[in-house]
Order: sequence, then C-alpha cells, then structure tokens
Amino acid sequence: MSGRRSRSRQSSGTTRMSEDQINDLVIKLQQLLPELRDSHRSDKVSAARVLQDTCNYIRNLHREVDDLSERLSELLANSDTAQAALLRSLLTQ
Amino acid sequence: MDSISPLSNQTTTTTSSSSDLSRRKRRKKSPPSPPPSLEKWRSEKQQQIYSTKLVHALRELRISQPSPNPNGRAVREVADRALAVAARGRTLWSRAILSKAVKLKFRKHKRQRIANPALTQPVIATGSLRSKKQTVMRIKAKGLPAVQRKVKVLSRLVPGCRKQTLPVVLEETTDYIAAMEMQIRAMTALLSAVSSPTEHEEEGQTHVLG
Repeated sequence: MSGRRSRSRQSSGTTRMSEDQINDLVIKLQQLLPELRDSHRSDKVSAARVLQDTCNYIRNLHREVDDLSERLSELLANSDTAQAALLRSLLTQ
Repeated sequence: MDSISPLSNQTTTTTSSSSDLSRRKRRKKSPPSPPPSLEKWRSEKQQQIYSTKLVHALRELRISQPSPNPNGRAVREVADRALAVAARGRTLWSRAILSKAVKLKFRKHKRQRIANPALTQPVIATGSLRSKKQTVMRIKAKGLPAVQRKVKVLSRLVPGCRKQTLPVVLEETTDYIAAMEMQIRAMTALLSAVSSPTEHEEEGQTHVLG
C-alpha cells in the first residue's frame, strides 16, 4: 500500500511511459532507419541523432512520393490508354 | 506403467474433450500483446490491396487540364488517402489524413478537431489541453531540450501528431514510415507496369509486380 504512493508521483494521471519504454521505442525507430540500422556501433546512438535522422528520412520519403505522384500524373495525363493499361496490369496479377 | 507427461496429467483429470475446448477457446481469444502492425506493411498481400485501391481511385481522378503540373498534387492526395484507408483507422496519422480530405471536400469554415467527434477520439481533445502542463514536466524528466525540439519537428512531419505526447509520436512515426515505404514500393511498381505495357502485356506483366 505504501509502495503505491511513490509510484503515483511518476504517473501524474496521464499515460506517461517510463524512460525505458521510451528508449525502447527509440531503438525500435532506429531499426527502421536504413542508415542507422547498418551501423556497427555497439554504443547506443543518441536519441537526438535518431530523431534527427528520422525527420530527414521522412522528408526523403515525402519527396519520393511527390516525385512518383508527378510521374504518375504525367502518365495519366498523356493518354487514356494508360489508365486502361493500369487496370489490366492489376487484373493480370 | 503409463508414461504420462506432467502436461497431459492435467488433461486426464477432467474429460479430455472439455479441456480441449477450453484450451481451444483460450487460444482463439487473443494474444496478450497486439500483433506487430509493421509486418503488415511489409507483406505482399498488403501491397496488393493498396495497389488495387490506388488504381481504382486513380481511375476516378479525371485529369482535366492538359498541363500535368497541378495534378501531381492530386495524385499525391489520392495516394495518401488510399494509404490511410489501408491503415483501417487504427492509427492517428491515417485518421488525420482522412479527416483532412473530408474537410477539403466540404470547405466550410475551419472546424476544430474537437468539434468533429465522428473522426476523433476525446483523448485527443484532452491531450491538447494537458500538453502545456506536460511540456514543462517532460523537459525536467528528459533534461534534453534538443530531444524536445526534434520531437516537435517530427510531430509536425507526421500527420495528426502535432499535439501528442512523445511515446505516441514515436509509435505513430514507426507505423507511418513503414506505411510510406510500402506506398513507395507500390507506386514504383505501378509506374513501371504502366510505362512499359507495350508488347508484353499479357505475358510479362506478372513478373514486374511479383
């Protein structure tokens, strides 16, 4: 019963995760990033580094999607047969 | 002598059929932890589902102007919306993308998220009120303003995460990144399938996407 009091100081009413859980999430995030995943550092990469790289990676992904969208739109605008080809390519999967 | 293993010993005390049922029932109920959603974005099946949705949506998108410049934006929005639908409403970012699309459609005066209960959960509303108090405590807990700044930037990049707490932002980010990677794979495959359909239409299509 007395142990609850010391614990309640941490939680403060909202769902606040412990530092360890947050660190786990950061490590999980690090595994997703292509550059940090292949690094052979046995040391922990700093959280700030992981976050910075994540922001850069997301911006890159956005740029790629924008670029792909541009190319797709050009293809679609050029001919209606392209749209038919789209459908057919899916149906033959 | 019966060589009964300790496990089977338990089942033989009661009738085997009923205990089998209870075991089967327990198995069917649910695993203790939620299934990893990241694997779903990497599966072939999910990519196919998304590609189908994307193609159907693109078909309905009529490219009106001959100059394709503003249409890249339209294609991007269609692709994002299809991606959000593929997420099945389980993530914040997907709900945010869908609610953005709905707002654009109706074009009324800017509604607050709180006034849109169908698409948002009440947790988000209270979260925004509490976040002011929380930022002070969080800085004290982490002690690194650099991390705070980066999380803020990150939360702006991922849709729907501007006023969320750190663990939520990280969670949404992992799912968002996996989803976007799948989106890129699907769109790339689609592009290559469409841009070279000349002679090998019937035979060689499958190998491009498979």
